[in-house]
Amino acid sequence: MLVGDLSHRQFAGRLASAGLGVQFGPFNLRIRSDLGSFASLAHHLYEPYPLLDAEAISDFHVQIASPRGLRRLRRWVRPQACFSVDGQSIFAPYRADHAFPALEWGINWCVATRAHHLLMLHSAVVERNGQAMVFPAWPGHGKSTLCAALIHSGWRLFSDEFGLVRPEDGSLLPVPRLISLKDASIDVIRRFRPEAVIGPAFFGTRKGTVAHVRPPAESIRRAQEPARPRWFIFPRWTADAAFTLEPMPKSQAFLMVATNAFNYDVLDETAFRLVADMVRTCDCYSLRYADLNEAVTELEKLSGSIDG
Amino acid sequence: MLLGLTSASRGLVWQDWDDVYVVYQPSSAETHVFNDTTTLILKCLEHGQLSTEGVKNWTEAALGVGQGELAADEFAFAVGRLEELGLIERADEPIAV
Repeated sequence: MLVGDLSHRQFAGRLASAGLGVQFGPFNLRIRSDLGSFASLAHHLYEPYPLLDAEAISDFHVQIASPRGLRRLRRWVRPQACFSVDGQSIFAPYRADHAFPALEWGINWCVATRAHHLLMLHSAVVERNGQAMVFPAWPGHGKSTLCAALIHSGWRLFSDEFGLVRPEDGSLLPVPRLISLKDASIDVIRRFRPEAVIGPAFFGTRKGTVAHVRPPAESIRRAQEPARPRWFIFPRWTADAAFTLEPMPKSQAFLMVATNAFNYDVLDETAFRLVADMVRTCDCYSLRYADLNEAVTELEKLSGSIDG
Repeated sequence: MLLGLTSASRGLVWQDWDDVYVVYQPSSAETHVFNDTTTLILKCLEHGQLSTEGVKNWTEAALGVGQGELAADEFAFAVGRLEELGLIERADEPIAV
């Protein structure tokens, strides 16, 4: 059963009572909220995601809700929304109209700080023909934009944020959550694929203007299918840059992957061996691009999906 | 003055690419990047303790350069770095490892 199988009334009712159980790849979440505007948007953007069975165990209990206590006065004056996980407030309250991005950031925080049974690369990951392309990058280098374009060009979304590596076999696990686009990237993707499902823009958030792209239903339906890493691509969007896609020395690739992992230090030698194995078996490239269409075409050529 | 490996040098996990070695040190849970010179000093000392001069000579031979061609400051820097990491130590007399 999917979120979209619930009526809006049923969906909002679950959020406001025992919580809505949703599966995002390897993670089970129970989400609660008493905010009506949040419920409307969440119902729309989470529509293709599977609901949890009643007896399923949740990895994270998260809530985005009106403040309690004296802060309840905020219900009428500049209303706020508080994110909490397992009953603990983690961040300063958000503007109530930023509740949706606040919940999305909060879920990312849960994964990044708690999923230490997996190696977590700070990377976008997409897949085609059973082979994954991994994009480790620092914020602002254009990985989410490139990822959003690729998943609307025939690639399957694993994540725009987390390269989840299973230590047992080095496979990448999908966690095809919404893609958060920022500022100019929002219109870039709206122009690139007008049919893409993109939520409203939230202006003036703590991360600028953000909007959320819903992954294609196929990516969500196949969220339990892992893949092997095949390429590491280190992207960097630069205005007016000439397109380049150049092989990167493995030693440099190793250091860049290791240093941008969320929990390399936590997993110690396991992380070293996983990163070394992946870099050894993958082709590694440095990508610089300005034109999204050109980048997508060239990456398709690299993957052998189209003839060069 | 003798140079020798410490117990911390045991169990290093090596990954070599090109002319760079990426090494995981279990005793500190740190990852290091070593060049040829630093790597060869460790490899030399795997055969046992040796004088500083002896290590330098062995390293130069392994690098394929003539005796005295490895810059003294480069060698000293590599030795110092390995000492900082706790992978080698100096002793006036043979070290029991």
